[in-house]
Amino acid sequence: MDNLDHLLKSATKEITNAEDLKSLDYYRVHYLGKKGVLTESLKSLGQLPPEERPAMGQKVNVIKTQIQTLIEEREALLQQNQIATQLAKESIDVTLSGRMQSMGSIHPVTQTRERIENLFRQMGFVTKDGPEVEDEHHNFEALNIPDTHPARAMQDTFYFEDKTLLRTHTSPVQIRYMKNTKPPIRMIAMGRVYRRDFDLTHTPMFHQVEGLMVEEGVSFADLRSTLTQFLHAFFEAELPIRFRSSYFPFTEPSAEVDMGCVACSQKGCRICKNTGWLEVLGCGMVHPNVFKFVDIDSEKYTGWAFGAGLDRLTMLRYGMTDLRALFENDVRFLGQF
Amino acid sequence: MKVSELWLQEWIRPALSRDKVCERMTMAGLEIESVTPVAVPLAKVIVGKVTHVKKLPDTDRLSLCEVDVGRGAPLSIVCGADNVKPGVRVPTATEGAVLPNNITIKKSQIRGVFSEGMLCSAYDLGMAEKSEGLIIFPDDAPLGAEVWDYLQLNDTVIDVSITPNRGDCLSVMGLANEISALTQTKVTAPDIQAVKATLSDTLPVVLQAPQKCSHYVGRIIKNVKADAMTPIWMQERLRRSGQRSISPVVDVMNYVMLELGQPMHAFDLATISNGIHVRTANESEKLALLDGQTVELTLDTLVIADNQKPLAIAGVMGGLDSSVTLLTKDIFLESAYFQSQTIAHTSRSYHLNSESSYRFERGVDSTLQVKAIERATELLLKIVGGEPGPVIDVTEKNYLPTIKPIHLREARVKVILGMKIAASEIENIFTRLGFHFEKTTDGWNVTATPARSDISLEVDLIEEIIRVYGADRVPTVNSAYAMKIHPLSAKKLPLATLRHTLSNLGYQEIVTYTFVDKKTQLLLNPSHDPKPLLNPITADMDVMRTNLWPGLVKTLIYNLNRQQNRIRLFESGLRFVPQGTTLLQERVLSGLISGPAFPPQWGIASRQSDFFDLKGDLQVLLNLTFAKEEFTFKSGVHPALHPGQTAEIFRNEKSVGFIGGLHPTVLQMLSLPQPVFVFEVALELIEDAHQPKAIEVSKFPEIRRDIAIFVDRSVPVEAISGTIKRSAGEWLQEVNVFDVYQGKGVPENQKSIALSLTLQHASRTLVDDEVVKLVERVIVALKDDFAAELRK
Repeated sequence: MDNLDHLLKSATKEITNAEDLKSLDYYRVHYLGKKGVLTESLKSLGQLPPEERPAMGQKVNVIKTQIQTLIEEREALLQQNQIATQLAKESIDVTLSGRMQSMGSIHPVTQTRERIENLFRQMGFVTKDGPEVEDEHHNFEALNIPDTHPARAMQDTFYFEDKTLLRTHTSPVQIRYMKNTKPPIRMIAMGRVYRRDFDLTHTPMFHQVEGLMVEEGVSFADLRSTLTQFLHAFFEAELPIRFRSSYFPFTEPSAEVDMGCVACSQKGCRICKNTGWLEVLGCGMVHPNVFKFVDIDSEKYTGWAFGAGLDRLTMLRYGMTDLRALFENDVRFLGQF
Repeated sequence: MKVSELWLQEWIRPALSRDKVCERMTMAGLEIESVTPVAVPLAKVIVGKVTHVKKLPDTDRLSLCEVDVGRGAPLSIVCGADNVKPGVRVPTATEGAVLPNNITIKKSQIRGVFSEGMLCSAYDLGMAEKSEGLIIFPDDAPLGAEVWDYLQLNDTVIDVSITPNRGDCLSVMGLANEISALTQTKVTAPDIQAVKATLSDTLPVVLQAPQKCSHYVGRIIKNVKADAMTPIWMQERLRRSGQRSISPVVDVMNYVMLELGQPMHAFDLATISNGIHVRTANESEKLALLDGQTVELTLDTLVIADNQKPLAIAGVMGGLDSSVTLLTKDIFLESAYFQSQTIAHTSRSYHLNSESSYRFERGVDSTLQVKAIERATELLLKIVGGEPGPVIDVTEKNYLPTIKPIHLREARVKVILGMKIAASEIENIFTRLGFHFEKTTDGWNVTATPARSDISLEVDLIEEIIRVYGADRVPTVNSAYAMKIHPLSAKKLPLATLRHTLSNLGYQEIVTYTFVDKKTQLLLNPSHDPKPLLNPITADMDVMRTNLWPGLVKTLIYNLNRQQNRIRLFESGLRFVPQGTTLLQERVLSGLISGPAFPPQWGIASRQSDFFDLKGDLQVLLNLTFAKEEFTFKSGVHPALHPGQTAEIFRNEKSVGFIGGLHPTVLQMLSLPQPVFVFEVALELIEDAHQPKAIEVSKFPEIRRDIAIFVDRSVPVEAISGTIKRSAGEWLQEVNVFDVYQGKGVPENQKSIALSLTLQHASRTLVDDEVVKLVERVIVALKDDFAAELRK
């Protein structure tokens, strides 16, 4: 009996001092294994007198259970310690930047184009494009701007030797589309246009968007509605909008559309030249002469068209003040978008 | 068009405030650009008469002047102006006056001399941008009068932007008529009376080109004092309209043009030989013009000629020899109607723009000529005197513009505007505009005023209605349109997808000018002669790009110069490739990389970008078509690219573009300090996409076998993969090159290539024996095709 007490005592000491799972495993085998100390003790029960055997047997079993519990407890602790060590070893500085390729950027004017395309697509408009080196017919004549028209001198045009030119607006796309497509028509065209002008507020190449709708019964009231919705959606603000009568050779009646200044809430600032208004669009009902050029019956069909400067819309949307930055392509500037 | 408000008020005085009138005009299509006071308020600046001028000793230009201001003793004033002389009447700022530049006039000492005021230029009084000497008043200017009152400086200049269709508004009268219609105020026109002739002298006038000039009015005035002075009020009105005072006769011509809109011209009668011919120019005629240049006249140019020679380019510019000078005694006045297209054509072909051609191009009222010549005569007689002859009025009736009634349907107004405007309202608008109308069963027959040559169609009338009614008052109504869904094809890869993919791969989109420097363009694409612009804006933007590399490279240089050395760019747009007599305008996508492959960071070792960085990204793009097997990269030749680092890209058998490193010589010519890699592909040829078809993924295990071979260095990997694919058969899922090596351990001129073959059967597990046989087959094929040796 004393032997067993002694055994328990030394086992307890050894197990609680076990440093790692491996030595713990050694003690498990040593005490509880098939050839372990306690197994041997049970085997030796037979040598005891029969009356002592039950008490002795019971005692051995109690000690066995106690040692088992000790080992399990120690094992749990050691496992916990081991994970803690691993965790400590594996911990990183999560504030370090992730491994990466850089993120690129989409040019702000392109973002405006995509935005406008998405907005008009919701209303069933398709996007079309056309050549940038154009002929006089598509750029001028078919748009009711004959050779001697004063508007022809207003747009200083880049010419080539063969009398072709760089389109001065996106409107030729209208003509090309109407020639090949019968109403109902809903289209927008966006892209580069060119005029010989180079100063603080003009670049010789810039971008326009052109919209055209031709159906039976389309009216100036629809035009107002569509453009008002468009501007509100584009700027995500219910800004005041006004339609001013104006003149374009290819539309009649024509109007210019002003929008309450995005920068000053119409209090007056540098951007709106203290008027509170920003001129953002030109528009009107398609001129019957234009319909004549593309063989659309202007008695049956009516249509509206609008045009706007994409660069200006972009600048207003992003709060830019220098147009030229759009074409300098400084990567630090572009990286903002 | 700039106009003095006081002048305008002589014609019309609406009850509304100036701001309200301006707003009405702006909303009706006559946009007010600016409203500017003529001068800031002035006091104690009065009319003085210089009586003595004495040069101050030891000064360059200063004089001591004695100035009579009509009261008290004359003032002593030191003045530095060149045009000061005894007898002139000039603005005199007296003690206490505050000038616009905040100078307060005090008695002071200048160079030891006592000065009691200041003699003023237009600049000093805030009336001009720069000084051009003292303002000299006429001799009848009342001494002591406040200049503010005398010059009527309490005035504003209103600048109205006139659209090309509204030539009728290029005059005080036209604007007054327009304001009358918009504000329902009566025009109070000055009374213009016919001037009685006191001479019977006339000139025969022949209209030889009646389609270009159908109405010509002239008048002789003899014995004028051409060296008289233009009255100050007229000078001021001209100045406020942006015109310089030149001489009294010319000033009156300009004044009448500004007032009534009729351009006029005065000839020196002595230079006219026996009559006026309005004709087109003859062979090899020349004319010295008022602006100093001599032009050779083209045969279609309309000229005013006498019996021998051209005197003026009709409606555009007068000739130098026949112009009125200060010595002219007798003059011949011209007030004609020239057809707008003729003048537009002439003005454009000679690059001559004048106030006259500007108005004729936009259409002048064909009934205005007599009225204008009477007005001019009246003013001239007052200013330069003389004896007028009778009005010479020659008309070719058949060629005069006719003013036909236009039929306006009431229903059409509603169709175009989308709203109903009451008939009474429409009639009221026509009345306000001075248009005559008659009711018809379905609307009106409307006759516009002769000044409104822009109105010829029904829709022109509808525009007038909405303009006066207010475009902003039209409701916003959405009609119920039939909506239809447009097809959305998966067979075309949208450019937006390519753009966004590139952006996600680290590329920045740029937009550059499509006209580029010819030298750079030829350096980056010598095989095409770029299309030159006739009138480039600058010498380094003189040709249309034949590829997008000039813009990309220029942007690279721009950014390198700004310490940005890691660059990844792309651009899409048209390239303009001349092909014989035609021009190919092709949509392309181009990219460029240069500098470190990755942004500087702790986790990836820094290295420079190379060909394969760019190629990999391009492959990602091409794979978006779901047709990657259709694309091949073959070693190619491009004069701007490194001969050993150039691939031509093919889709099936068709070349779609190039990728490569810029040729070292090109880098050197562009002073580029580091390697640059570029690509360009034709969008038309790459954007066809396949819709992916689902194939069931095999559930049986994949087997991977690696082989390593030695082959000659010149054997392209693409060819090796091809042989493997052919010889391995349908179990082969993928071939992947995972190592390429040449150098130590590899025979001379050879390279070692390690490949992995992924094998899989669709419906069963492959057995080892089959795999061994397959690999043996592949090795034999590689031996046959490339003399490849298996690396042990």
